[in-house]
Amino acid sequence: MLSLGPQQTTAAGRRYVVRTMAFMSGYVAINIAAILGAFDEIIGTPVAWALALAVSAPVVGQIWATLMLMRDSDEFVRSVIAKQFILSAGIAMAIATAWGFGESYAGAYHLPAWIIYPLFWACFGVAAPFVRTSR
Amino acid sequence: MKNRLKLLRVERGWTQEQLGQELGVSRQAVNALETEKHDPSLDLAYRIAVLFARPVEEIFDNPHA
Repeated sequence: MLSLGPQQTTAAGRRYVVRTMAFMSGYVAINIAAILGAFDEIIGTPVAWALALAVSAPVVGQIWATLMLMRDSDEFVRSVIAKQFILSAGIAMAIATAWGFGESYAGAYHLPAWIIYPLFWACFGVAAPFVRTSR
Repeated sequence: MKNRLKLLRVERGWTQEQLGQELGVSRQAVNALETEKHDPSLDLAYRIAVLFARPVEEIFDNPHA
């Protein structure tokens, strides 16, 4: 999900793409199965926590894949990725915080907490292209 | 940080990709150094100095001098 251009042709970049595809496939597969009713029998029961954790595991895996990409990249790419992540996470947290208080004080429509992850990547997609220096 | 990296690279007839391979960094990193979008670490600056057989100060201007 990172936009690094030709860097993705390096061995580290290729590993990152493969890992990302694998983790995101799991994330999407579990969600599609849930939407299609595969887990309807456990929804609302304590066992459903296993489902919640299972669908969250690929998110942890994705962060790990990104950290591995940073570890295996040179200092410039590592610095740019870090800046892109900090900026995107900051924007996503600011939006989530504003919306959360909007729910508390202004009667805004309730949004589920899981939306922070796709929101983060949406912010990343918008902000990352503007981060082109390590300073 | 102002530098003479592009001049030195072109003198040797290297592409950014080739210099990156010599230094063990990406082409983007070489481009960022040449366009002053990245200040090299001390380790990378010394690697560049060794590669071109010149003191670091001859390649990178000391902004504090």
